[in-house]
Amino acid sequence: MVSRFVHSGYLTLLLCGVYCLAVGTWVPGFFTLENAHNVLLALLPLLVVATGQTVVLMTAGIDLSVTSIIAITSVIGAQLITSDGGPLAENWLATPIAAIAMLCLGVGLGLANGICVAVLKMPAFIATLTSMMFLSGLAIWWTQSEQIYNLPRSFLSIGNQLGSVLLITILLTGSVHFLINRTLFGMRLRAVGHNPLAARTSGVPVSKTIVWAYVLSGFTAALASVLITGQLETGSPVQWENNLLDIVGATVIGGTSLYGGRGSVIWTASGVLLLSLIDSSLNLLSLSHFTIMMIKGAVILLAALLDTLRYRVNEGNH
Amino acid sequence: MIRPYATTLILMFTVYCLGCNSKGPSASDPNQITVGVAFETLQTEYWVAGFDAIKSELASRDIAVLEAIADGDPNRQLQQVKNFITRRVNGIILVPKDAKSCIPAIRAANAANIPIVLFNRPASETDAKSVAVQANNFEISKETVSFLIEQARKSGTKTKAMIVLGDLGDINAVGRRDGFEAAVQGNEEFIEVVARVPSEWNQEKAQAGVVNALQANPDIGLIFTSSDFLLPSIISALKAANKYHKFNEPGHVIMGGFDGDATAYQMLRDGYLDATGVQDVYFEAKASVQAVLDMRDGKDVEPLIQDPGFVIHRDNMEEKAASTWGANVQPAN
Amino acid sequence: MQTNSLLELSQISKGFFGIPVLEQVTLSVAPGQSLGLVGENGAGKSTLMNILGGNIQPDSGSMNWTGSAYRPHWPRDAEAAGIAFIHQELNLFPNLNVAENIFLADFPCRGFWIRRLEMFRRTKELLGQVGLAVSPQTPVVNLTAGEKQLVEIAKALHRQPKLLILDEPTTSLSEREIVHLFKVLRALQQQGMAMIYISHVLQHVQQLCSTVAVLRDGSIVGHGPVEHFSPGQLVALMVGRELEQHFPRIEHQPTDRLLLRAEALSQPGVIENVSLAVHEHEVIGIAGLMGSGRTEMARILFGLDSCSSGRVSVYRAGEMIEITKLPVSKRVQVGMALLTESRRDDGLCMSASIDENLGVVAGARFTVRGVLNKSLLRSSINRTREAVRLTPTASGRQAVRTLSGGNQQKVVLAKWLLNEPRILILDEPTRGIDVGAKFEIYRLIDELACKGAGIIIISSEIEELIGTCDRIIVMRKGEITNSFDRSHFDREAILNAALHSIEQVPA
Repeated sequence: MVSRFVHSGYLTLLLCGVYCLAVGTWVPGFFTLENAHNVLLALLPLLVVATGQTVVLMTAGIDLSVTSIIAITSVIGAQLITSDGGPLAENWLATPIAAIAMLCLGVGLGLANGICVAVLKMPAFIATLTSMMFLSGLAIWWTQSEQIYNLPRSFLSIGNQLGSVLLITILLTGSVHFLINRTLFGMRLRAVGHNPLAARTSGVPVSKTIVWAYVLSGFTAALASVLITGQLETGSPVQWENNLLDIVGATVIGGTSLYGGRGSVIWTASGVLLLSLIDSSLNLLSLSHFTIMMIKGAVILLAALLDTLRYRVNEGNH
Repeated sequence: MIRPYATTLILMFTVYCLGCNSKGPSASDPNQITVGVAFETLQTEYWVAGFDAIKSELASRDIAVLEAIADGDPNRQLQQVKNFITRRVNGIILVPKDAKSCIPAIRAANAANIPIVLFNRPASETDAKSVAVQANNFEISKETVSFLIEQARKSGTKTKAMIVLGDLGDINAVGRRDGFEAAVQGNEEFIEVVARVPSEWNQEKAQAGVVNALQANPDIGLIFTSSDFLLPSIISALKAANKYHKFNEPGHVIMGGFDGDATAYQMLRDGYLDATGVQDVYFEAKASVQAVLDMRDGKDVEPLIQDPGFVIHRDNMEEKAASTWGANVQPAN
Repeated sequence: MQTNSLLELSQISKGFFGIPVLEQVTLSVAPGQSLGLVGENGAGKSTLMNILGGNIQPDSGSMNWTGSAYRPHWPRDAEAAGIAFIHQELNLFPNLNVAENIFLADFPCRGFWIRRLEMFRRTKELLGQVGLAVSPQTPVVNLTAGEKQLVEIAKALHRQPKLLILDEPTTSLSEREIVHLFKVLRALQQQGMAMIYISHVLQHVQQLCSTVAVLRDGSIVGHGPVEHFSPGQLVALMVGRELEQHFPRIEHQPTDRLLLRAEALSQPGVIENVSLAVHEHEVIGIAGLMGSGRTEMARILFGLDSCSSGRVSVYRAGEMIEITKLPVSKRVQVGMALLTESRRDDGLCMSASIDENLGVVAGARFTVRGVLNKSLLRSSINRTREAVRLTPTASGRQAVRTLSGGNQQKVVLAKWLLNEPRILILDEPTRGIDVGAKFEIYRLIDELACKGAGIIIISSEIEELIGTCDRIIVMRKGEITNSFDRSHFDREAILNAALHSIEQVPA
C-alpha cells in the first residue's frame, strides 16, 4: 500500500495540500480568489506544454526544444497579425489563421525533432538541445531581438481570458489523457518507453511511435505559445526562455519517469500545480528571483531523486 | 485508479477556491500604506541608485515596500505586478523592460484600480492608464553638449565630434540623440560630427564602434556618450589610441555623458570628463512616490512628469555634488 | 584421491530456487595436472566454475586449495589465491592497447605516473610466453580472435597463477589458431601449470588433458585418466540419462501445406545459405551450439536483423507472399511470432504490468480507429491467461518482474497467442524455468500445432527437441548441416552433428 502510494502521483497531490495549509496561513494574499485566478492563468500554459513533455518522457526521451518552439511560433504568429505591418493585420480571419500557422509550425518542428531521435537515432538530449539552440538563435536573428506588439484583441483574448484558456487546456489534457490510456498509441508509447527492444520484437513500430510523441510535444508547445503570446500581448523571441526547467520539472514532480514507460497527464497536472503554488507563494513573499530559483531547483532535484529511487526499486538490483 | 485521483485533484482546487477570501487579506492596520516597487533589472548603478532612492523616500513617509526584480523577463514582471495586486498594495512603481511589454501589467493594475507609476521609462501610447516620471533627455543632453561645444570653441579650430548612441528602441536614447543633434545645429562652424556609433546599450558593441571610429578619424576631439555606463568602454578605446588625457594636458579629448554615475563623477574630479547631464534620481523618486499618493487621493496627475535634471561640470561640481547620485555611491569596480 | 592436491572439491551442491544444479560434486586437480571437464549445456559446468571463481557460494560442501580451506566470496579472492579464468567471451577493452589491457587492474606506478617502459617490457615478456609477436602498443581492436585469446592468456599469466581455467577457449578460433593455442598451452603445462579445460570438443580434451571428468545433470558421471574413455563413451556419458517421461504425448499430425519458406538466406559471418520450410501442424527443432547461427537465423526470419541475400515467404490468403523486406510490425500482422532467447532483454517490459505486456502485440486487434476496446481486450486477456495457465494469483496490474521465470515465459507466450499467430519461432522457450512449467509449455506447443500452427523451436536441450519435434535440423557455423526425421531421432547422432565430432553422422 505504501509503495502503491509512493509509486502513484498521490504523493504530489498530498504535498500540494500540505503545502497550501502550511504556507497559505501566513503568506499574505495566498488564499484569495485573485491569487487563485493568477495561479491558474499562469499554470495552464505550463500544463499544456508539460502534457506534451509527459508523452515524450514516457518514451524515455526528453524534449528540451519546447521553449524555443514557443519563442519561434510566438514571433512568427505575432508578425503575421501585428498592426505594425503584419500581412494579415486587417484580415478578419487573422486570428484563426495565425493560430493555425503557429500550430502547424510547432508540429513541423516536433516532426524534425522526432526524425532526429527516432530515425537518425540521435540521443534525444542532444537532438533537442541543438534544435533549442538553433531555434532560439533563429528567433532572435529573425526579429533582430525586437518584440512584436499591437496584436489584435481577438487573438489576445484567447490567452488572457481564464475561460478560454481553461477550456483549451481541458480539451487538450483530456484528449492526451485519452490518447495515453485508451488507445493503441498509448499502449505502444508505454512499451517503447519501458523496453524499446521488446517493443520492436512485439511488432510495435518503434520509430513511428517516437516521432509522434515529439510531434505531439511540438504541437503542445505551439498551443502554449498561442496562450502565452495572448497573455503577454507580445510576440517575443525570448518568450518563456527561462521556463524550460519548470516544464520538465513539473512533469517529473508529478511522477512521470525520466526512465520512460510511466506517465500520466493527471500526475503532470498535480506536478504543475505544486510547482505553481510554490512559485506563487514565494513571489508573494517578495523573495528574490534567485532564491525562488534555488528553492524550485531543490524541489525538482528531490523529485528526480525520488524517480531514480523508484526506478531502482523497480529494476531490482540493477 | 485514475478517476478517484482526478476527483481528488478537482476537489482540492475547489476547496481551495472556496476557502479563498474574495476581499483579500485584511490589512492589520488599515492606515498602513504599501507600495510595490518592481524593477526590470538592477544591473547598472543607475537602477540601483533609483531603487534605493525610492525605498528611502517611501521609508521617510512611513510607507511599507514590497520589492520585485524581474531580471529582464517581462513575463515574470507581469506575475510580480499581479502578486502586488493580490497583496492589495496601494500603489505600484514600475521600471518596465521596454515601452510596450509593460502594457498587460498596467492593464492589470488599472483593472484593480491601483495607481501605477512608471519610473524613468514611459509606456508607449495605449489605452492603459499610467503616469510616467522621466528625465527630460532632450533638454539635459542639449545643455550638456552645448557646454562641450563651448569648450571646443576655445581651441579656435573646427573640432571633429563623435556620439555613442543608445538602443534607439529606447525612447530615452532617442531623446538624448536628438538633444545632441539640436546642440550641434547652428554651431557647424566649430564642430563637425564625423561618427555616430551605435551601442544598443552594450559595452562590447560600444567599445568596438569607438575603436573603429578612432581609427577612421584619429583627430576626433569631442565625444558624447548617451549613457555614462558606457564610459569604461570609451576609456579603454581612447587609451588604446593614446588619446586619454586630462583637460589641462595636450591632446585632451573633450568628453561628456549622461546619467551622472559614480564613474563619471570620479572622472570629472580627475579632470578627464568635461561634463555630464545628470538625471536627478532623488527628484524622480520623490515625484514617483508623490504621484502614487496623489493618484490614490483621486487627484489629477499629469501623465508625464519631467525631471529637468542639470549639467554638472568642472565649475559647479562641488555645489551640485549633493544632488548628483553618482557622487554619493561607490563607483563600480 | 591424491593427498597432495592443488585443488580439491568435496561434496559441492548448489540449487537455484529449489532446482538442484550441482549435486555432491567431488573433484581434484593435482599440481601440473590438466583436467578436461565435459558435459552438455546446462549440466552445471558454468555453475561449478562460478563457485570456484567466487561469483556464487555453494549450498554445501567444501573446497581445499593448496592444503587449506578455500572459501572465495568475491572474484578477487580467487585471483589472490592464484586461480585465473579465461572465459568464453573475452573481457578485453578494444579501445585500449595490449599492454594497457594486461595491466588494467594494476598499472606499475611511480607516484602518480605510470611507468610505461616497465609496463611495455613486462608485456613483451608475457607475449613471448604465449608466442604472440605483436607490439605491446597495438590496440586490441586490431587483433584477430586468436590473438585476443592469447592476450587473455597473457593477462592471466601476468598474475602468475597456479591454476588456469579455460572455458570453451576455441569457440571463435580458426584451425590454425587452435593449433597455436594448443602449442602455447602445452608449453605452459610443461612448466608445471595446472589447468581445467572446459569444452564441448572432445578431440581437444583428448589432445590436451591427462584426466577427464564428465558432468551430467549436476553430478560427476565419469572421472579418470583420459585414455580410459573413447569419444563414443564420453558422448554416451554426457547424454546418457534414461529418457524419462518429461514430455506430453504428441497429438499433432504434420501436414505438407506450406506455411513459411526460407530460401538460401545468407548474411556474411552470421548465416550461410539457410533454407527451411515450415508446414501446418508441424514442429521443427533446431539444434546447435551457441554461436552456431540458430538465434541469428530466427531473428532474420522475423525481420529483426537483415540478410544480404535470400527470400522469406509466408502463406497467406491462398498464396505465398514474400516478406523478406517487411519490417517486424508487418510480419506480426501476417501471423508470425518470436519468443526471444532472453526474456529480460527483448522479450518483456520487466517493470511494466502483466496487462501492459500482454496487450502490446495484439492491441491492434482490439481497436476501432485506434481506440482500444478495453473490455474486449480484458476478456481476451483473461481467456489467454487461462489457456497458458498463468498463475491466477497474479493481478493484471502487477509488474512482470515480480513473477517467476516460468510465469514470465507464459506471459511472453500469452502475448503472442492473443494475436493468434500461425508461425511461431520459440528460441529457448524453457530456459531458466522449472520442470512443471516446462511441461506446460510443451503441452501448449503441441496444442498450438494441433490447431494448425507451424512452430520452430530452438533449444540447447536435445532431449527437449526430441520430445516435442517432428523434425530436427542441426546448425553449425551458420549452416544447416543435418536434418533428422522423427523416425531417425538419435541423441548421440544429433549431439555429434552439433559438435562436429570425429564420428561420422548418418544423414
